[in-house]
Amino acid sequence: MNAASQSASPWLGMLALLFVAMFAFAFLRAEQQWQVAALAAVGTIGLLLMGRSNMRRIESSWAAHQSSMQWTAIVLSAIVIFLFREDHFALLMIATVMLFSVACLGLNVQFGYAGVVNFAGAAFLGIGGYTAAMLTARPGIPHGFVILVAGLLAGLIGSLLILPLLRTRGHYAALITIAFAILFRTFLEVSDTFGGPQGLKVSGLRIFGWSFNDNIETPWGGEYSFYLNYVILSFLLLGVAVMLVRRLEYSWLGLSLDAVRIDETAASVFGFDVARWKIVAFTLGNALAGVAGAVYAMMTGFVAPANFTLAESLILVSIVILGGVGNPIGILPAAALVLILPEKLQAIQEYRYLLFSLFVILVLLFRPEGLLPRRMRVYAPRWRSP
Amino acid sequence: MLRRLTWSMSLLLLFALPYASVHAKEKVKLVFIGPLTGGVSANGLGGRNATDLAIKQRNKDAKSKFEYELVVLDDECKPNIGVQVATKAATDRSIVAGITHYCSTVAMATVDVYHKFGLPVVVWGAVLPDVTYANDFKEIHRVNGTMINQNETAAKFMTGQKYKRWVIIHDTSDYGKGHNKYFSEYLTKTGGQILGTFGVTADQQDFAAELTKIKELKPEVVYFGGITPLGVRIRTQMDKLGVKAVLQGTSGIVSDAFIEGLGPLAEGTLAFREGAPIEKLPGGKAFSEQYAAQKYNDPPEAYGPFAYAAANLVMDVIERVGPDRKKIRDALNATRDYQSIVGPITFDDHRQNAVPLITKLVVQDGKWIVWEDSDFAKGKRKLVK
Amino acid sequence: MDPSLLAQYVFNGAMLGIIYAMVAVGFTLFFGVLDVIKFSHGDVLMVGAFTGLTTYLALDAIGMKSGPLMAAGAMLCAMLAMAALGAAIARWLVLPLRNAPPINVLLITLMTGTALREAVRLFYPAGANPKPFPNLLPSAALPLGDFALRTDNLILLFVGFSAVVIVHLLVTRSKLGLAIRAVAQDAETAQIMGMNFRRVVLITFALGSALAALAGVTAGLYYSEINFGMGLLLGVIGFSAAVVGGLGNLYGAILGGFLFAALQTLGAVWFTVPAYKDVFAFAVVILLMAWRPTGLIAERSAERV
Repeated sequence: MNAASQSASPWLGMLALLFVAMFAFAFLRAEQQWQVAALAAVGTIGLLLMGRSNMRRIESSWAAHQSSMQWTAIVLSAIVIFLFREDHFALLMIATVMLFSVACLGLNVQFGYAGVVNFAGAAFLGIGGYTAAMLTARPGIPHGFVILVAGLLAGLIGSLLILPLLRTRGHYAALITIAFAILFRTFLEVSDTFGGPQGLKVSGLRIFGWSFNDNIETPWGGEYSFYLNYVILSFLLLGVAVMLVRRLEYSWLGLSLDAVRIDETAASVFGFDVARWKIVAFTLGNALAGVAGAVYAMMTGFVAPANFTLAESLILVSIVILGGVGNPIGILPAAALVLILPEKLQAIQEYRYLLFSLFVILVLLFRPEGLLPRRMRVYAPRWRSP
Repeated sequence: MLRRLTWSMSLLLLFALPYASVHAKEKVKLVFIGPLTGGVSANGLGGRNATDLAIKQRNKDAKSKFEYELVVLDDECKPNIGVQVATKAATDRSIVAGITHYCSTVAMATVDVYHKFGLPVVVWGAVLPDVTYANDFKEIHRVNGTMINQNETAAKFMTGQKYKRWVIIHDTSDYGKGHNKYFSEYLTKTGGQILGTFGVTADQQDFAAELTKIKELKPEVVYFGGITPLGVRIRTQMDKLGVKAVLQGTSGIVSDAFIEGLGPLAEGTLAFREGAPIEKLPGGKAFSEQYAAQKYNDPPEAYGPFAYAAANLVMDVIERVGPDRKKIRDALNATRDYQSIVGPITFDDHRQNAVPLITKLVVQDGKWIVWEDSDFAKGKRKLVK
Repeated sequence: MDPSLLAQYVFNGAMLGIIYAMVAVGFTLFFGVLDVIKFSHGDVLMVGAFTGLTTYLALDAIGMKSGPLMAAGAMLCAMLAMAALGAAIARWLVLPLRNAPPINVLLITLMTGTALREAVRLFYPAGANPKPFPNLLPSAALPLGDFALRTDNLILLFVGFSAVVIVHLLVTRSKLGLAIRAVAQDAETAQIMGMNFRRVVLITFALGSALAALAGVTAGLYYSEINFGMGLLLGVIGFSAAVVGGLGNLYGAILGGFLFAALQTLGAVWFTVPAYKDVFAFAVVILLMAWRPTGLIAERSAERV
């Protein structure tokens, strides 16, 4: 046994997860402004006090005992969600964070693995959302199918951009996705078939007769918020997405994508079909965003072009960067930070975009690797050098 | 080790905090939602101040059974933001009723939210008929009139003034499209000729291309179905490109912000809206005096009195049936001949109040004044030079 | 089509084009010198417009009466202020990230743009509302058939053109221009040759931002209105124009600017719902990028493998 893995005890990691769960619970529960501000302050100070070395020990504990960490995280999340079972708004926020994380995982595959810059993430969320809106308006199409179609369509439309994207590099590629983001939003605003600037109503999810939009009534007289349905679904989706991304990372596919990102020219010299892997990454990422968008639309019941602008795409990109490009674990806390904090701090509601942009600027200047940056690829987590 | 212990202790303490605050339940929370920022913020702020005035007066009244608290949310005149804040308000169980929305686009988007969560609301400023007529949700009420009457009167009046050739510009939101639909319908009935219809986005900056096409068509009147910011831009660019026609607008441009934005160019712009101007309302003078006494930063604008009436209606109902959403909803549905500062309020089977009087307005000397009182009506000035 | 109407369309397109070109030239300068896309450029334009408005209000308050003089004053003040702002952004936000992956720089400038926009919206009195911009230039019009050639638009067009020409001459004929081009071509060698890299970068940013300020005040005078969101779309359009024309190439930027304006005007005329013009213009941009990936006037650069 090696000294490094010996000191990385699983209890450390689990304790850290417990604290995170408790903090999240308190934060979502807090209603008065002073409570929220106090919690935010304590959280920040706590993190700063912990210091780099403690963080690293926690991280190595997580890395060394991955499966038990995952189970702990799942159990803790289930407990927190259960505690909020009657609170509409908290559940809505939890589900939103999870769905956006799924979309950001997709973006992560695009940037972090294949080096393809996508400033139109929100547009693909929108494609998923609008597909859901248009298809659920017609009777007879099973909703599970709708979600799949939404993902497929997002991937397909994304592939339209592939040709120009493949031929360009860097800034030029960025322009293409930016142009698409604007084009998408303008098109929806102008076109009547898609509801125009007014948007479309989306009916709630209904699978096998179980309507996701009705409160759950339990035999012992409790009435749980209907958002619980969506939270459970999002949780499952998140789980599937994380598994997918994980498998990707540790597969030949992931290795190829990494090679392509780090040095395209060298990769092509080694015989990697750069174009093919880029197409795969881009399409997969967009499909994930499409699926998330469809569920999100059905949950909120409404889609409008203003939901899917360049600004929203930028938020998605910021989440990926804040969480640490290439690291799927960092995305969830980053998404929670970006999405929940402004909602809770009512007093700063008006200033939220300003504060958010300043915060990202500071992060980029002082900790550009993000909150939980991805370490160099570890080929086999349990393998250590002798 | 010690550091970690103290840290975990303080965290545990804070974990307990949310349970520490105990809410007393004698307060009743109402929510006001309107556009507090953005191009039509003047109207939103006016509505908010008027509602605030009503609440303050009620809280001073010793006879009231409850203490009212107003939660104010900004919908930014954007449907998606409106849905978000409406969800926030409707999911908050301590809020029992809402005074909602000036922008029709937002009102349309949020009706489902209020119905889903059972929050009874009274609309104070949105004029699109569909808000109350396109659904059968018992939670949605409206005290102000719809755009149908506005446009009918406008069509009759303008053709009566011997205008024959129109071009219609409207924004592509439901609000603009609604105006286009109703005005076109009534205008064709009264014999006016529509030379062209142009749909523009609500945040469009440059109208040079559209106005050049319009110049080619040589209309006498340009009808604009949309709200103030766009109206200001269109009028300015009409002048720059030399389009000589009368600008006829709707309730969407009746605001001081329109005149501020245009200066002397605003002179001679026509508009139509439902309800009488404040001075001519039954409770208007008293309202104006009390409003002024509070020294708000912004005037009540055209729909402030409606917000005030809505707030009082809701509070009167709560005094009768208590702070229960379902009871409030049923009591509001049954409102008949309720005396308010905007006149008697009666909700029809779609919970819509009828406001038959339409006021014709024109900008003269930097103010919106009633047509009949203006120099233009008396023939002393011409609408287009 | 009536020739005077055609003239009107051409003139409209030219006005739009010169504004876009001014923004695009800024983008291309920044890219050339530092290989960065400074996305806050559009919002610097907006701040410049607001500075111009504030200058006008100040001049008006102290009793100045001459419109054109006030316009000149507003332009000058805005240009100086934005030059300072641009240099500050370069110094503190862009230069430190010189060695970071380009997406970080892109993101930081995007966020700076957002911060500027929100700051104006929140802190300028009634910033969230569109603000009328005064008509400072003589508005006498020369009627040519149906087309009214207004003096103020003509002056603006002239000023815009001169600005672009001056910048062009500066970059190609002066010593400073030589330094800028040297740094753009190869920063390391330029430093070896004794050029002050930092100074050249800061001056370039100042120059580009001053041009943006001019574009902002021009837009204000042309539309008689400014609002806090005007920078966003103008910035993206300027960026697209610069890229389509070929980043790093001044002629390309000007070409791109006019091309985009032409596309928008064509779109407005062809489509029954004129609102489709932006969709059309951006779609064409994407197609152009697919056809000519490095812009119409291609970048001649060797990429280090």
